[in-house]
Amino acid sequence: MKVLTLVMLLCYSFAFSSGDTTIHTNNWAVLVCTSRFWFNYRHMANTLSLYRTVKRLGIPDERIILMLADDMACNARNEYPAQVFNNENHKLNLYGDNVEVDYRGYEVTVENFLRVLTGRHENAVPRSKRLLSDEGSHILLYMTGHGGDEFLKFQDAEELQSHDLADAVKQMKEKRRFKELMIMVDTCQAATLFNQLQSPDVLAIGSSLKGENSYSHHLDSDVGVSVVDRFTYYTLAFFERLNIYDNASLNSLFRSYDPKLLMSTAYYRTDLYQPHLAEVPVTNFFGSVMETLHTDSVYKAFSSKTSNNKINSEMPLNQLSEHDELQKANIQNDELKTEKQKCPYTQMRVDLHKKLEKLENVDTVVNLGIAVMLLVVMVSSSLL
Amino acid sequence: MATEKRDKEEEEVKTDDGSLKIKPRPIVQLGIFLVAHSPVFSVVFSAAGVLALLILPLLAKNTYISENALMPGSARSMLSNRDVSDGSKLVKDIKNYRLNHEGQVQKLIGKYMSEMGAEVYYQKFHPEGNQFHPLHFFSGPDSYTLLDNVSCASYGVNVAGIIRAPRGDGKESIVLVTPYDFINGGDYEALSLGITGTLFSLLARVTWLSKDIIWLVADSRYGDYRPVAAWLTEYHSPSFKDSDLLKCGELNTADKFRRAGTMAAALVLKVDGRSERFEDTLSIYAEASNGQMPNLDLINVVNYLAVHRQGFYVKVEKVVSLLSSSWLKIIGEIFEAVGKLAHTLNPDWNFGIPTADYLEGSATLASSLYSQALGIPTGPHGAFRDYQVDAITLKVSPRFPPDSKTRQHDFFLRGAKLLEGTIRSVNNLLEKFHQSFFLYLLTSPSKFISVGVYMIAFALLVASLPMVAASLYIDGCKALNNSTLNPAGNFKSWKWLDAAKQVFALHLFGLIVTLLPYFICQVPGQHSPSNRSIMWGTTSSSLLLITFATIPGCSPFSSRRHGTNWAVLKSVTISAAFIGLCLMSIINFATAEIGALLLVPTCLIVQPIKPALRSRRIKSLLGAFCSMVLLTIGFPVMLFAISKGLFGEGLVGLSLGGEFWTWLESLWAWKSATYLYIGMVHLPCWLLCLCILFHPS
Repeated sequence: MKVLTLVMLLCYSFAFSSGDTTIHTNNWAVLVCTSRFWFNYRHMANTLSLYRTVKRLGIPDERIILMLADDMACNARNEYPAQVFNNENHKLNLYGDNVEVDYRGYEVTVENFLRVLTGRHENAVPRSKRLLSDEGSHILLYMTGHGGDEFLKFQDAEELQSHDLADAVKQMKEKRRFKELMIMVDTCQAATLFNQLQSPDVLAIGSSLKGENSYSHHLDSDVGVSVVDRFTYYTLAFFERLNIYDNASLNSLFRSYDPKLLMSTAYYRTDLYQPHLAEVPVTNFFGSVMETLHTDSVYKAFSSKTSNNKINSEMPLNQLSEHDELQKANIQNDELKTEKQKCPYTQMRVDLHKKLEKLENVDTVVNLGIAVMLLVVMVSSSLL
Repeated sequence: MATEKRDKEEEEVKTDDGSLKIKPRPIVQLGIFLVAHSPVFSVVFSAAGVLALLILPLLAKNTYISENALMPGSARSMLSNRDVSDGSKLVKDIKNYRLNHEGQVQKLIGKYMSEMGAEVYYQKFHPEGNQFHPLHFFSGPDSYTLLDNVSCASYGVNVAGIIRAPRGDGKESIVLVTPYDFINGGDYEALSLGITGTLFSLLARVTWLSKDIIWLVADSRYGDYRPVAAWLTEYHSPSFKDSDLLKCGELNTADKFRRAGTMAAALVLKVDGRSERFEDTLSIYAEASNGQMPNLDLINVVNYLAVHRQGFYVKVEKVVSLLSSSWLKIIGEIFEAVGKLAHTLNPDWNFGIPTADYLEGSATLASSLYSQALGIPTGPHGAFRDYQVDAITLKVSPRFPPDSKTRQHDFFLRGAKLLEGTIRSVNNLLEKFHQSFFLYLLTSPSKFISVGVYMIAFALLVASLPMVAASLYIDGCKALNNSTLNPAGNFKSWKWLDAAKQVFALHLFGLIVTLLPYFICQVPGQHSPSNRSIMWGTTSSSLLLITFATIPGCSPFSSRRHGTNWAVLKSVTISAAFIGLCLMSIINFATAEIGALLLVPTCLIVQPIKPALRSRRIKSLLGAFCSMVLLTIGFPVMLFAISKGLFGEGLVGLSLGGEFWTWLESLWAWKSATYLYIGMVHLPCWLLCLCILFHPS
């Protein structure tokens, strides 16, 4: 009976912790280049540039799903074999030593993309190719390629429609695969891809409005192709000034896009996203900077409410008024579930430990234990 | 429901005898209306067809690069002075070698290629190639089977070098061809080797090749076309038997013939003569056999790079005599005025172009139409089209004399840069050229008329034919019914059979006349072209007499009783012409267009001359005169003479027959469908019109 209640309590606590109040525990990035062919060199360079940036800002390789639809580095037309550049000065080789491409070439399909997002993989798919995010994850989804009104072309044959994307995001939300999701798209008419999104906690930014094209930034006349798109170029220019400890907000990123330089209008959709952009640091998505929690016990972390209070008190960005409101909400929560202030599992361990300490004759207990075990073994073997 | 019922009631119009008759559908009504007023509509449609043809230069669109992958001019040229000096050295070496030695310059070029790191081989070929065989029409490129009596007296040697793409898959290649006469080649011709040598030196060391590069130095001693065709034949259909040619001469060509995958594109480079203009001139030749054109993108890339990067003056062929023709100038002025007027009415209407542009456009368009209609390739690139490879010939005329050293350096650099840019563009391709047009007419190097536009002129021209045929048939039937004797009264619908018999007989005659030259060629002994044409003419005319004599009712001079009604005969003739023209428009549009311009008015206007003379009315006399003139022009030999005069080659007089024979010989040697058209559509229809003209009614 006790065990049963214990299990129930455990389940309850998990269910409770997956609510809105879950804390941000990890960062993931899904970076997709959907275009094939040599003349789409810039799309691969875009994606690799973003890959480099998020890695520099702290997202580890194991939490980046990199999808590249073609291999420009080893294309016979590439004048610099096994190198990819996003600038004509050729200072930075994006295809350096530690690039882990998870999905490459013809693996980059709409099906695989949706599988990655929704987590519905075949059994044989290795963990490195899965998006193993949870309810505490912030996910950055970056896509680039050729788009149109409510679609994004994959390879040369398929397309991802805005419905597909919205559906996948909805599934992710229901499966608690993210806490917050940021979708960044650099295609023509990128804004149209977000039209069908409905799920909460999704922030979307696109390089161009409906009817607008996204243009390439410049041509590398040695390689003979355009090497980077304007939107991505200016995004990178923004991030190049930042390091892992910077506190620049998403708002400052979005404000940095100049329609004159972009030759298109960057669009962001915030109606599904609660926090004020001015208070969200870009590293929430583009980096992997999380709150450090100082807890009394290792297992305290399971209980979310106590830690939540702590976060709020430590958060430098939060203003006082909001802080108060949050505290009020938390107090209400506390009143409802006061009996579960202590973790039951911890309590059980502590009790057991105390009982063990009370025992004086440890040796006899051990000996008796061995004798009982022997008896059990004999009985069981005779039965067989 | 109620309204539907009322509609039905309205449709059911009561006829005289009270029975219900369903009103015909609108399209049928339209058809009946058109047929009933066919004389007016035929004139309107034909005039509109001619007008549409004249308007075409106005409708020309600017060319644009359709294929994304090409990206011409996006890469910086990598040519260095070292490459140019390599090319110059090659030209100098060839000159010195030819001064001091006799014979194989090929070896020198081969040595140069292998020094660059290319795989080199030599190919021997026979100069004989095209022989007329009636069964080989449309049968694709001949596999020039090895002849039994191979003589070492005349053979050519091609040199080819292949640069393998360092990281390519070796499945595709780009071909560069420089025809060069190793015996008599002039200084200008050697310059083309210099340009390609410069380029080859660069390509041998670049890292961006995805397709192999083949440089073919074709031995143009026996014409430009034949060596290229021979090389292509061997490239595509390898022979596993050792040719006797291998033993000829000192040059050992026993080493294997090497290949490099399917060809993405081919460029033929020629340098000839001095440019008349201040700039270096680049002429583009694109027409292959039977009016086939390479993909427009290839021309666009070359034109773009030549004009915007290397500053060449680019031109395509034009009919020079048209530039000074006054009637065309007047038409151009009218169009210009109309265009200006339209622009004042609505500023968005900008179809007017200056008269000078119109003249240029028309002259180029006429040349484009003529070259396509002739069906003879305008250069060695034609051989590639037979294998579905897009190819063009670039003829460069430098503005300096060939011995000017300083200018030569610059010329090599620019020529090689143009080729490098083009090759780099084609190198970027992922699949064959397919994005842009294959069916088009050029009005300038940067303007084209697509198939959707130029078809309108032809469609309007031939649209009147079925209309007039139907109306004539109805008239003819009425006339037959009115005549007292009507033995075939039971077979009302078979009235056209007599006429059809005559039309069929004359078409059969046309087929035989078309095949006759093959047999005349088989006649032993050497004959001059004039003799052969006389043989052909006499056999044809005697055959015609036999046809008239044997098939009753066929001859225009037969008695009235056997003769068919001329209206029905004309109706069937027009139908036959319509079918012939439509079929030809699928095979070679330009031929059909020019053919329609001649045949349609003739067919429409022709009427029996006797009643016209008898009536002595001005209208009928004028009609008779017009049909006489048109029929005179329509005779193929006459037509040939006129076209010769038009293209400024001067009338030839007595040797006309011989010239005509030579011309026809060239047509069939190149497997031009125009030859078939003349023999099997134009000639029979012309004869039938003649029959109608002299009809005894």
